[in-house]
Amino acid sequence: MDLSLLADPGFLLQNLVDGLSRGALYGVYAMGFTLIFGVLDILNLAHAATFMWCAFAGWLVMARSGLSLPFGLAAAMLSGGAIAVALEFLAFRPLRREGPAGGAAADKLSPMISSIGASIIMVSVAEACFGVETRRFPDTVLDPKPFIIKAAWGLRISRAQILILAASVILMALLGLFIRRTRAGTAIRAVAASRKASLLLGIDVNSIIVLTFLVGGALAGAAGILVALLTNNIVPGMGSQIELRGLAVVILGGMGNVEGAVLGGFLLGLVETFTIAYLPGGSDLKDAIAFLILFLMLLAKPDGLMGRGKAERA
Amino acid sequence: MRANRARPRVAAAAWIAAALVISADLYLCIRDPRDSGRLLINAMLGLSAFATLHARLLSLASAGFAAIGAYASAILAVKLGLPVYLSIPAAALICGAVALVIGLVVLRLKDVYLAICTLGFGEIVRVAIILLPGLTGGPTGANLSTGFPYEAMRRAGPASIAIVLALLCYLFWATSKSKAGRALRAIRENPEVAQTMGIDVVAAKNMAFLASALIAGLAGAFYAHTVGSLDAGDFKFGRAVDILGYAVLGGSGAWFGPLLGAGLLTALPILIRDGLGSSFGFLKDFAQLPNILSGLALMIAIIFAPGGLAALFSRPASREGERPAAGAGNAQSRSSGTLDTAPNAVHGPLLRISRLSRSFGGLKALSEVDLEIEQGKIYGLIGPNGAGKTTLINLLSGLDAPSSGKIEWLGREIQGRSAWRIARSGLARSYQHAQLFGEMSVLENVAVGLHARLRSSLVGAWLRLPSFRREEAEAMAEALELLGALGLAELAGESAEALSYGDRRRVEIARALATGPRLLLLDEPAAGMNEVETAALGRFILGLKERGLAILIVEHHMDLIMGVCDEILVLDFGRAIARGSPAEVSRERAVLDAYLGSDS
Repeated sequence: MDLSLLADPGFLLQNLVDGLSRGALYGVYAMGFTLIFGVLDILNLAHAATFMWCAFAGWLVMARSGLSLPFGLAAAMLSGGAIAVALEFLAFRPLRREGPAGGAAADKLSPMISSIGASIIMVSVAEACFGVETRRFPDTVLDPKPFIIKAAWGLRISRAQILILAASVILMALLGLFIRRTRAGTAIRAVAASRKASLLLGIDVNSIIVLTFLVGGALAGAAGILVALLTNNIVPGMGSQIELRGLAVVILGGMGNVEGAVLGGFLLGLVETFTIAYLPGGSDLKDAIAFLILFLMLLAKPDGLMGRGKAERA
Repeated sequence: MRANRARPRVAAAAWIAAALVISADLYLCIRDPRDSGRLLINAMLGLSAFATLHARLLSLASAGFAAIGAYASAILAVKLGLPVYLSIPAAALICGAVALVIGLVVLRLKDVYLAICTLGFGEIVRVAIILLPGLTGGPTGANLSTGFPYEAMRRAGPASIAIVLALLCYLFWATSKSKAGRALRAIRENPEVAQTMGIDVVAAKNMAFLASALIAGLAGAFYAHTVGSLDAGDFKFGRAVDILGYAVLGGSGAWFGPLLGAGLLTALPILIRDGLGSSFGFLKDFAQLPNILSGLALMIAIIFAPGGLAALFSRPASREGERPAAGAGNAQSRSSGTLDTAPNAVHGPLLRISRLSRSFGGLKALSEVDLEIEQGKIYGLIGPNGAGKTTLINLLSGLDAPSSGKIEWLGREIQGRSAWRIARSGLARSYQHAQLFGEMSVLENVAVGLHARLRSSLVGAWLRLPSFRREEAEAMAEALELLGALGLAELAGESAEALSYGDRRRVEIARALATGPRLLLLDEPAAGMNEVETAALGRFILGLKERGLAILIVEHHMDLIMGVCDEILVLDFGRAIARGSPAEVSRERAVLDAYLGSDS
């Protein structure tokens, strides 16, 4: 460990900013993932592929049509919602044979398998359409020149980072309000608590599930375009890089816990950034950190930091 | 019944499909012998995925274990000079060690955690390969291909892989015919009920995961020596999905399923590319075709044919039952039936419950209940719906843990102990909603109950030792005897799914008795029975009492309760409101109040 780095507040602050913006993205991605898990109690393993397609959708709108970020974000979120709803109808609903409340206890494997199938199809089709070469945003869209805040020890914050942090925080707040304050959000929480009871109470469970996929997919879409802006590197394989991190974040925060996903996202972002910065050879370890965290959490506290005791013994 | 008539046609279609797959694969092998190695390795990987899926585990680690097997065996052979034939099993053992670590952490948790952990594991293996270029040669494994003995391997390779694959198939077949096979099928259908049959579900899942890792490691090692050069990209997520596809498309119910799945999914992309490539040029270089086909296979199979190709072959259960029943005749005289042997006498009560409580959130399902159960007595547990009767049974059988209070069983506290241990110590139960293993025959269902009392090991089953065969025959005879005692002998070969409601309950009782209990917990055993059947059940229960069993019955049929019970405990809103002999209880004011306006 390079001790001189520890004494450098500018370096520390820089990593804090980098880690937070990275973590914000993980949080946005994982919120959608964990929301769907909370309501259906299944893993949507096509979430990463949705994320990747949305990055391409946003890129197409911004780079090809030259529209600005709000349009790109909207396009990504809309396509994310649309893809996720399509997944619900093609990959998940056909498996709920006994109606919306059925299969609750029975079969958790089939939906995962089905979503794995959907995921590999989506990634392969993207590879066939876009090739493996990297797509980038033109400079007109994304001014690569970072702001340099001289006053604060030469802190470099890119335009993308500010956009990402702002957009993520707004999305997190909006999702929180939606879940806690609206009628539809309350229905989502009810269905997450018990599908059967919700059905008996007259909630249209299937519609709520569709709504959940819509929201979850839109969040994957937002994460897709924002990650694309941060890395400026859009490839069909980009989903696999966030997939494992998303899982680690969801485990960190507790499966199905939206607030936990935000917390877990920031934590993972910070841990990754600081490992790269302060640990010799840290950048090589970067990809292993998520798995380490995931494994250690499963070992020590599978319910997650904010878990509600859902992990119980098999 | 309609399904039965359609069976022959489905089975014929399945045979034709299998014949097509096999001939396509043979065609490939003859055309290019190199494809035969690939086919055999894929079939082995399919078996690896099957091992987990059959135990109802979704593991995505097969590609990761194959990678470890491939690199480990290559490093052992090339860098350390180990003979190739030793490097292959050594690599498999390394995979096994890794699997044990992962399994011990994850298999105690819910199903999804294995999927999550193995998905991450697959990624991390690939990352590790890339990050350790000194050992692995980096992403393309360049320095491992030099001096690789793959010329020799190429000649002898497919034959040796075929031999190992055949051996594996035999082991899977032999396992499926043993108590381990029955236990796995029971877990696959209902892990919770399997536990209360005395099956250690976590250990079984660990074994399945370990087997999967060993087989994937073998396949990877063979791959390394067949291909001769390694590339981390060979083991990426797409590969894991392909492997899963073999087992899902082929079917996770029978061991030959993954062979068919692998045969189909290996041949299909090659045939499509060669056959249609001349007319549709883009197919020639369509690198994503295999992955897209795997993905489609996964979705289509899981949605439209969850049992995969293998399920189409499945014979009606009656044929499954004939074999043991026929062999049972001569073994019957020797069998020491459950019903003949009385449990050893114990001093004091068998079971003592003190101040037992269970709350779910704010709801007190059970509060401060006391009960003592003595050998050779019948206890009734009655009360309105929601009084906490099933909660009490779940606590006693270890499916749920009490919030407070003590359960002393045979003088030892058992609250919080795992259900399979409790079942093995002689505490058996039936379920309120009959929970038979629907894919098994009636006889097999009862045989699952015998699980913990059968001694022969897996190795004995693999070698088909005389002791194993004898024990199996005796087990089947005993299961048949139990069915006979409940008047179900002629249903032994039926599929459990096809039974009437009342028959199911009686099979459940036979299955619970098969575990050799001292105390039998019956949760509404007479539900769905008519009066004649209920009376017969009452006589049967009294017969069990005479043999020294203790019995706790939850029931709404008051005739049955009043007719057989020595003591009755009445619950209402989780509290014991009355207890005593049937005559005492029926006079209690509180009992009449609790029941006023209820269904009995």
